[in-house]
Amino acid sequence: MKVTLNWLKDYVDFDLSADDLSHRLTMAGLEIDLMERLGEGLDSVIVARLADVQPHPDADRLTVCQVDTGSETVQVVCGAKNHKTGDLIALAQIGTVLPGDFKIKKSKIRGQVSRGMLCSIKELGLGEEADGILILPQDWPLGEPVFAELGLKDIMYEIGLTPNRADCLSVVGVAREISAMTGAPLRLPEPVVIESDSPAAEKTSVVIDDPDLCPRYAARLIENVKIGPSPEWLTRRLEAVGIRSINNVVDVTNFVMMELGQPLHAFDFNRLRERRIVVSRAQEGGQFTTLDGQVRALTGSDLVICDGVGPVALAGVMGGENSEVSSETTDILLESAYFNPTTIRRTSKRLGLHSESSHRFERGTDVDMVPLALDRAAALIAELADGAIARGVVDIYPKELIRRTITITASRTSQVLGLEISTDDISDKLSSIGLKCDLQTSKSAGAINVEIPNFRPDLEREIDLIEEVARLVGYDHIPVTMPVSSLACQQLPDHLAMSRQVRDQMVRMGYAEVINYSFFNAKCLDKLALSKDDRRRQTVQVLNPLTEEQSSMRTTLVTSLLETAARNMAYRSEDLALFELRPVFQPCDDSELPQESLRLTALLCGRREPQGWAQSAENIDFFDMKGVVEQLLTTLRITRVSWQVKHNEPFYHPGKSCALYQGERLLGTLGELHPEVLHDFDIDQSVILCDLDVDALFEIVDGTVKFQPLSRYPDVQRDSAFLIDADISAQSVFTVLGKVKLKDLESIELFDVYCGEGVPSGKKSLAIRACYRAKDRTLTDDLIQNLHGKLILAMEKELGAELR
Amino acid sequence: MKDKLNKIEEAALQSAVAAVTEVELQQVRARYLGRKGEITAVMKGMGQLIPEERPLVGALANEVKDRLEAAFTERQEGLRQELMQQSLASEKLDVTLPGRVQRRGYKHPITQVTEEIVAIFAALGFGVVEGPEIEKDFYNFEALNIPKDHPARDMQDTFYVTEDVVLRTHTSPVQVRTMLEHEPPVRVVAPGTVYRRDSDITHSPMFHQVEGFLVDRKVTFGDLKGILTTFINEFFGQNVDVRFRPSFFPFTEPSAEVDIQCVICGGSGCRVCGHSGWLEILGSGMIDPEVFKSVNYDPELYSGFAFGMGIERVAMLKYGVNDLRLFFENDLRFLKQF
Repeated sequence: MKVTLNWLKDYVDFDLSADDLSHRLTMAGLEIDLMERLGEGLDSVIVARLADVQPHPDADRLTVCQVDTGSETVQVVCGAKNHKTGDLIALAQIGTVLPGDFKIKKSKIRGQVSRGMLCSIKELGLGEEADGILILPQDWPLGEPVFAELGLKDIMYEIGLTPNRADCLSVVGVAREISAMTGAPLRLPEPVVIESDSPAAEKTSVVIDDPDLCPRYAARLIENVKIGPSPEWLTRRLEAVGIRSINNVVDVTNFVMMELGQPLHAFDFNRLRERRIVVSRAQEGGQFTTLDGQVRALTGSDLVICDGVGPVALAGVMGGENSEVSSETTDILLESAYFNPTTIRRTSKRLGLHSESSHRFERGTDVDMVPLALDRAAALIAELADGAIARGVVDIYPKELIRRTITITASRTSQVLGLEISTDDISDKLSSIGLKCDLQTSKSAGAINVEIPNFRPDLEREIDLIEEVARLVGYDHIPVTMPVSSLACQQLPDHLAMSRQVRDQMVRMGYAEVINYSFFNAKCLDKLALSKDDRRRQTVQVLNPLTEEQSSMRTTLVTSLLETAARNMAYRSEDLALFELRPVFQPCDDSELPQESLRLTALLCGRREPQGWAQSAENIDFFDMKGVVEQLLTTLRITRVSWQVKHNEPFYHPGKSCALYQGERLLGTLGELHPEVLHDFDIDQSVILCDLDVDALFEIVDGTVKFQPLSRYPDVQRDSAFLIDADISAQSVFTVLGKVKLKDLESIELFDVYCGEGVPSGKKSLAIRACYRAKDRTLTDDLIQNLHGKLILAMEKELGAELR
Repeated sequence: MKDKLNKIEEAALQSAVAAVTEVELQQVRARYLGRKGEITAVMKGMGQLIPEERPLVGALANEVKDRLEAAFTERQEGLRQELMQQSLASEKLDVTLPGRVQRRGYKHPITQVTEEIVAIFAALGFGVVEGPEIEKDFYNFEALNIPKDHPARDMQDTFYVTEDVVLRTHTSPVQVRTMLEHEPPVRVVAPGTVYRRDSDITHSPMFHQVEGFLVDRKVTFGDLKGILTTFINEFFGQNVDVRFRPSFFPFTEPSAEVDIQCVICGGSGCRVCGHSGWLEILGSGMIDPEVFKSVNYDPELYSGFAFGMGIERVAMLKYGVNDLRLFFENDLRFLKQF
């Protein structure tokens, strides 16, 4: 909502600087988004007369003008066509900086000296009109600043209005707020309507078919108007608040809407086929052309204004092309009505047609403003377009809106706000914004009955009034206190505490956390080569996405993490250790809401160590990532898990990937990426990934820590190397060794795996180190020999291993 | 005999001084004090002496032996020192070379700021709760006093999954879920991801919020001011000015927008604060009685306040980040700065 300082001053007298007003309005809940000093720095644009206009000798489209500023004559070359000798124009003198940082300099155009510029409306920043220069009224004084003469040395405020403040969608509404804060009285316009003898009721009529949707409809007939341009003051005023001038009649309706907040519509009376108005629901499936030339499909819930034959306006939203005021119009039917906000909103929303008018109706207009706005506009049209106002108003108001009365108590107000306030103070505050307060008739002491005027449809309950009191007192004046509340232990929920643990551990292990959009394009799952029936291909789809790339909710974090990696590689960040810990979304058959489950996806590529003069340049491999997962499991105290090769994700290298299980439960997968997948993601280096179901991990976390006593006796280590078949996995070796239950065996470590020279093909060499230690004594050599012999025997018998 | 011992001692001491390595010194030691050494030989030859001389020569031999032991030990210590000094003198690092780089991880700035905010409220006695990101219209709108066809729905452009399921547009539905599950008093914050159908330099279709609320008997607007002022001073600094101004949210009344003095210009007006000197940082208000009704709280008995803030916005101000999109591009050059 835009207002200007000068316009506000028409309704309330106040003496606040531009900045003070901005601050006061903001602190009253009318936030000033933008303050613009119109005409600032433009005093060097002056009124001047075209003393002579001649065609440019060397350019067909230019003219060379001698411009009389009152004190001198300067030559200016001009490209417009709408000017002639004798016109008064706006001359931007040398040195002026026009809006858009356009500096006027002395120049030569096709050989002719030009000392200034004749300005168009657009160049002056006053509007969009760029065709032709601005021609000023003949009686304006030469040499005076144009902006001052236009009354445009003004301040424009753009207010970011909250949707509850429909009352401030008018200059008068904002002026009422200023009146409340300054104590100066509000002056509403008092139009003087001079009516002709011709009674309107004989020439037209209004019928409301659906009083619920249109409780009030008033009309006036204005005859013999002359459609033409608006006077300068009207055009400027509208343009200052961002409304383009159309013609005198339309401009008046817009002016009154801005002034009083009541949208009005002017019909060309003679184009109303039966010369009358019927307000009714539209016919389902009907069509109607609005005055922007668009054909609109109607439904039975739209409210339309008909002329007895068919629709002539989409009630409260936009008029129709078939009844639009044009230069031929002579008689006008002026509409001032109140429409049901929800109806207007539905129609406007469904058609995507948002107008100044619908904006106001859907937020709730003031039904009591209907007659005043009608008279105000009629009087202005009569004045500016020479019309004759037919006698009488056709005002149909079948369902009078009763003014609400709300009781507010001082005790409740104090209780909510934490501010001591008396009923008198409350009454003073509420009266200042035009509410009628009655302290006498209230039954209980300390209560006030407040009658709510119809311009405040947002005030429905006591709490709404308490908010008004707080606003008018000023939030600054409410004391700052700390709540008194009972203590309660507020531990972080397990789920959050564990995700923090996982995140912190990943960061400690050198991984950088990324956050990608939860959206993706489900097509990118093709790049992962997921099978057609993979669960992750069933995605939650967004009905109204911004782009195809954000049309579904992620069912995996893998694709976005790979995209992130590829993007970073493009910036030469090739050694990456990234992770994302975020939910994925899976549609759920038995619930309206999808299943959201937390996943951890981590990615590793490039060198193992950061680059540097003393660093290893070795590249990471599968086992770096496996180590990370193992470390995470340790952190979470998860045991009894197994690595298996049975569930292979299609996006991994088939020989370098595996899955993590506890029992039959899949906990996640790990592997080097398939070269084809790398290719599809434009990555040209090896990448290792792990993808864990964090919710599943959290379910099997073992939170108990049990201390193991330390042995005070020395340990003995025995190393043995075996030759075994190359395809026997380390896991089966450990399984075999684990089955040999030895009481004093402390640990077994696999410390070397080797194939190559000295090892027959098809075989590999495994070296294990067993560590023996008893809790209660020093072990003898004989005993150790005996124990270790059992391990060797198991290896030989179960796995056909051969001691080297 | 005595002379012989003296001569041996003299020769041994000279040899010890002449030895320049520990190996040479060992050899010298062996020559005199070893099992076949000269002193040992003298000791062994004691039998040939007359009995009266034996104790005298024996005592003397032991004295010489002790002195030589001491001299060798001293010489050995001397040699060790010499050698150490030599190697200390020869070993030299260019200590100005950079250290061996350790890989370090980085927590996303959004996570860092979220944790910081949550920690401040935790210190004030607030717990933490979470809710789903894909949410029923009821929790996201209806129960928060935002009926269908209400202009307030325009305040937040919504992504729909079905007619009744949306990507939550704010973390406020967690408020509803929490109040439906718990009787007052409740005092929690709810950090989370939210979605709005908007994308440009200052808007992202996905972003993060922290919601918080407190419900108990006799909670006032003054309390809201107290808690939020405390939070802002903890987070942005004790000297930062705070102002509360009227605003509108369908689920709070009275509602307040909370501004802080611009952290960029200190309040004198700059591009970031739109030359106003103030930055909008929080939306807040007393929980609307309508919301209490939809969660079966008695508005006559209880009152409470709620607030919400955008984490990206707070992070942008805290770190001076000028483009919201950077948070989701995950460029390592960006992430490594936090």
